[in-house]
Amino acid sequence: MNFDITRRMLAAEILKLRRNRTIMTVACLLTFGMMALTFGYDAIQHASNPTQHGPAGGLLGFGRAVKSLGLYFALLAASLIGTEAGTADISSGVFRDLVATGRSRLVLFGVRAPAAILVTFALTGTTFLLSIALSFVLAGGQPTPSLSLILQSAGWILLCNAVVCAFAVGVGSPTGSRGATLVTVIGWQTVATELLLHIQSLGSARDALLTPGLGQLMPVPGDVAGISMAAGLAVAVVAAWAIVPTLIGGWRTQTTDA
Amino acid sequence: MTNTPIIETQQLSKRFGERQAVLDLNLEVPRGSAFGFLGHNGAGKTTLIRMLLGLTAPSTGTMHMLGRALPQAHSEVLARVGAIVEEPHFHQHLTGRENLRVIAAARGSEAMDRIEGSLRRVGLLDRGDDRVRTYSQGMRQRLGVARCLLPDPELLILDEPMNGLDPGGILELRTMVRDLVGEGRTVFLSSHLLDEVEKTCDAAAVIDRGRLIAQGPIDTLLAQDRAELEIGCGQTHLALDVLDGHPAVINARETLDGIRLILTEIGAAAQINSTLVESGVPVFRLEPVRHSLEQRFLEITSRVGEAQS
Repeated sequence: MNFDITRRMLAAEILKLRRNRTIMTVACLLTFGMMALTFGYDAIQHASNPTQHGPAGGLLGFGRAVKSLGLYFALLAASLIGTEAGTADISSGVFRDLVATGRSRLVLFGVRAPAAILVTFALTGTTFLLSIALSFVLAGGQPTPSLSLILQSAGWILLCNAVVCAFAVGVGSPTGSRGATLVTVIGWQTVATELLLHIQSLGSARDALLTPGLGQLMPVPGDVAGISMAAGLAVAVVAAWAIVPTLIGGWRTQTTDA
Repeated sequence: MTNTPIIETQQLSKRFGERQAVLDLNLEVPRGSAFGFLGHNGAGKTTLIRMLLGLTAPSTGTMHMLGRALPQAHSEVLARVGAIVEEPHFHQHLTGRENLRVIAAARGSEAMDRIEGSLRRVGLLDRGDDRVRTYSQGMRQRLGVARCLLPDPELLILDEPMNGLDPGGILELRTMVRDLVGEGRTVFLSSHLLDEVEKTCDAAAVIDRGRLIAQGPIDTLLAQDRAELEIGCGQTHLALDVLDGHPAVINARETLDGIRLILTEIGAAAQINSTLVESGVPVFRLEPVRHSLEQRFLEITSRVGEAQS
C-alpha cells in the first residue's frame, strides 16, 4: 500500500470524526471549556482574596493545567474521540463496505488510532496553548514556565492522548458499540482505577494501572495517588496500555465476520 | 479467460453453528450479463455474497471471481468489484459526497476522481452535499449504487437493490442495470422480486434452503417440463369430446373462452388444431401458456420442499 492511500484513508478517518458535531462539541467543552473555566475560577478567587488564593497563572497554575489536561480533561476527550474512531464504521454498518473494497482489515483498523490521536491533540493542543497564555497573563508576578517545561508538557499531554485513544480504539473495534466502549474506558479510568489505587493491600500491583504510570512521567510537579515507580517501569506500563488493546482490537478486526 | 464465468463456486458450503446456511453450491455466473440470484428470505443469498466479498469465510468449497481464486486474490479481485450487501449503510452525519470519499479513500486516487461522475449517474449530484440522514430510502439505494461505481467495476454485486424504491425508482434501476451490462459489465442481482429479475436479467439461479436448485438463462428456466396450450374456440364440449383420448393430450379442461390443454410436447399443437377444425370446432386462437418466473420459482421451490419433507 502506498503512502498516498494511507494519507487519504487517514484524511477520511479524520473527516468522519471532525464532522461529528455532537462528539466535537462535547470534546471542546471537556478541554477548552473546562480549562477556561478552571483558570477563570482561580482568577476570580485570586481577585477576591489575594492573600488566601495565589494567582491563577504562573508556574503553579501551569502545573495544575497540565496535570488536569493530561489526566482528566484530555482523558475524557480522548476516550470520546477514540471510542468514536473505534466503533463508527462497525456501528454504522459501513465496515463491511470498507472490507468489500479489498483493502486489508489491518489497514482499515490501523488508521483509526492515529486519526483519533490527531483530532484529540488538535483540541488539547489548542487548550494547551490557552493554558500557556493564561499562565503568563495571570502570573501575577510569580515565575512562569520555561520553554523546556512547556515542550516536555506538550509531549506528555500528547502521550496521554495517544495512550487513551489507542486504548479506546482497541476496546471499541471488537465490540462496535459506542455505549459499551465509553462505559468501559471512562469507567475503568475514572472509577475502577481510582478505587483500585486506594486499596493499599494491592501494593505494587497498582503499578500496572495506567494513571500512576502516566503520573510518573508527568513533567510538572505533582503527586498521582501517592504511587512512585521507576521511569522505565512507567514507560513499560504506559506502552502496554497502548499496545495490548491495539493488538486485541487488530486481531478481532482481522478475524471477525464483517 | 473471457469465456470463463465471472463468478464460479464449487461445492461451496457455509455453516453457522448448527445451521447450514449454504450447502454444496455450484454456481456459474456468465460474464457480461445481468444475473438474478433468487431465493426466499433466509435461503442463503446474502451468505453467498458475504463469502464472495470476504466478509465471512466459507466452511468448505472453492470460489473464483474474475477468474481468480478466493480468498487468495481478494484484494486484487475486489478492487474491480462494486457491491451492496443487504442494504447500503452510510455514516449518517456525513454528506453523500463525503461518504463516497470515505470509500474512495480506501480504493485509491482513481476512485476519488470518479465521485462526481458516480453521483451524476445516479442522479444525486445536486444532493451530494446534503447529509445522508436527510436522504429517502430510494436516495440511499442510489447512493449505494454510486458507491459501487467508484472502482469502475467489471462486476457489480447488488443485494436486494430494489428494496424501498418506488415504481419510478425501480424502472430507473432496471434501466441502469441494462446500461451497465451494455457497457460490458456483469451485474449479479440478488432479489426476491421475481418479476423484476425476469424483466431485468438474462440468466438466473434459484437457491432454496442453502441449496442451488436451478440455474440458467431465464428462457430456459421458464420452459416447462410439459407444454401447456390455451385454445380459443366455440363448442367447447365438442372440443373436449374430440380430444378425449388423443395421444398428445395429457389433460384438458374448459376455460372462459375455450379450453386449456396440457400436451406431451408443444409440437403437437398443429395436429390438435387440425383435429379440432376437421371435427367442426371453430378455432380462433392457439397460444402456448407462458409461465412467469414467479410461478416457476414457486413450483421449483415447493417441489424441493415436498421432496425434502
